[in-house]
Amino acid sequence: MNKRGFIPMFISSFIYIIGETFKGLYRNRWMCITSTGVVAVTILMLGVFMVVNMNLSHVTELVKEQVEIVVYIDEEADQSTISKLEEKLTGHPEIEEVVYVSSEEHMGRLRQQLGGMLEGYDTSLENPLLASYEIKTVEPESIVMLADEFETYPGVSNVFYGRGYVENLFAVTGVIQMIGIALMIGLAVTAVFLISHTIKLTVMMRKREIAIMKYVGATNWFIRWPFLLEGMLMGFIGAVLPMVFLYYIYQTSLDWVAANDLMFISPLPLEMVMIELAKYLVPLGTGLGMLGSTFSMGRFLRV
Amino acid sequence: MVDAKNMYMRYTRGEQFALENVSFTIDRGEFVFFVGSSGAGKSTLLKLIIREIIPSSGGLKVFNRDVSRLPRHRLPYLRRNIGMVFQDFRLMEERSVYDNVAFAMIVIGSSRKEIRRRVPHLLKLVGLGNKAKVRIKDLSGGEQQRVGLARAIANRPAMIIADEPTGNLDPGTALDIMNLLRNINLRGTTVLVATHNRDIVDRFKKRVIYFENGKLVGDEQKGIYSNVH
Repeated sequence: MNKRGFIPMFISSFIYIIGETFKGLYRNRWMCITSTGVVAVTILMLGVFMVVNMNLSHVTELVKEQVEIVVYIDEEADQSTISKLEEKLTGHPEIEEVVYVSSEEHMGRLRQQLGGMLEGYDTSLENPLLASYEIKTVEPESIVMLADEFETYPGVSNVFYGRGYVENLFAVTGVIQMIGIALMIGLAVTAVFLISHTIKLTVMMRKREIAIMKYVGATNWFIRWPFLLEGMLMGFIGAVLPMVFLYYIYQTSLDWVAANDLMFISPLPLEMVMIELAKYLVPLGTGLGMLGSTFSMGRFLRV
Repeated sequence: MVDAKNMYMRYTRGEQFALENVSFTIDRGEFVFFVGSSGAGKSTLLKLIIREIIPSSGGLKVFNRDVSRLPRHRLPYLRRNIGMVFQDFRLMEERSVYDNVAFAMIVIGSSRKEIRRRVPHLLKLVGLGNKAKVRIKDLSGGEQQRVGLARAIANRPAMIIADEPTGNLDPGTALDIMNLLRNINLRGTTVLVATHNRDIVDRFKKRVIYFENGKLVGDEQKGIYSNVH
């Protein structure tokens, strides 16, 4: 039996396959544009979501580093209870740093924060503010647990750690991620469906040719390649277009942030974001295209 | 080349057999007519030989290989050794004569050099040397079937299978096509022709295998069509 033709892809075959790919795209141009468009929208939404999420995680990381626990010392605690408390805190394995802040220092900070509003306040009166320990933990996530623990220590009046603020931040990030993922899955399924439908049309138009190819002994891979390339190309273009769009959107956003003195938001740099996006979105788009074409072909090749 | 032994074929369980207990052997270089009225089982037999379908029971060997056991990925290589000719030609009508023949060679991965050398030669062989650039739909039926023949032999198959190759042609043109098939056979290629063209079968005096209601009812060297009735 003739064994030629499986591995040796001659130039004629290559030219043929590339030619058929573009012919298929051209003959079905409206469906191709639609499918590519849906891929582009999917990728764009995913891209926006990724950019937001990346920046949000970045901010969360920054915030986490700043979060600390403040343990207020009970007014009525005697000196030995206080020194025992300090010993306990400094010796705790999950605590990185303990700073003592006296009630006088608290008053000083308050004056500074409120500016002139405390002018005239009688300094001879008793200072109502409590002395405290400001604590940085080793792991930001263990704050809630540690705060509860500290509350049980003798000599502690109360514990403050920005309850709610930290928890809300984590919760918001989580919700955004969930919505994003649900949306993505829906759109990705639509994209695969549309691509497979588009390619099915090309396959139908070329049914006669495919039958002839089977009769003269073309391998399934030879028949498959143009369709596979068609799908991959649609997916690839559908990924690159939104990347260009995202590049301009993000650049504009960065400019706006800079122009409005909002740099404390500390957004991630453009290059880093784009590299990160390209790493995930381009293979994803191409993969969606490939998946679509694979779905559309299976049954036609069984001749 | 083709060796059928007690072969049965039915498309769906419970239905009548399309072929029933069929046995025959065809050797290299033979020219064989399969005759019988439509529905007698000729087309089923051809489909079995190119393994479009697999026999329900019994054995069928093509090129000494049991087609039932041929793995799917080997199928293209079986087909490359069989040239197919169809009643409805099955050509790409929007493309040129040259493209249609070259297509068969591109598909199996022939080099461009080989294609450029062989296609004009093939076209000359079937008498279309000066029509290479003409589109298929601008050709007559006879000319189209010549293209079909050129395509069938493009990859130098060991066997040609023609399913009613003259079914859509007038008698004169039909004879031309059959003469071409005979010339191909004289170069050593096995030729199997399914037909119910009585005139041609009687004129060529080749081996004839008769089918009736799925059964093989006759097998004669230098047979004539009328013997079936």
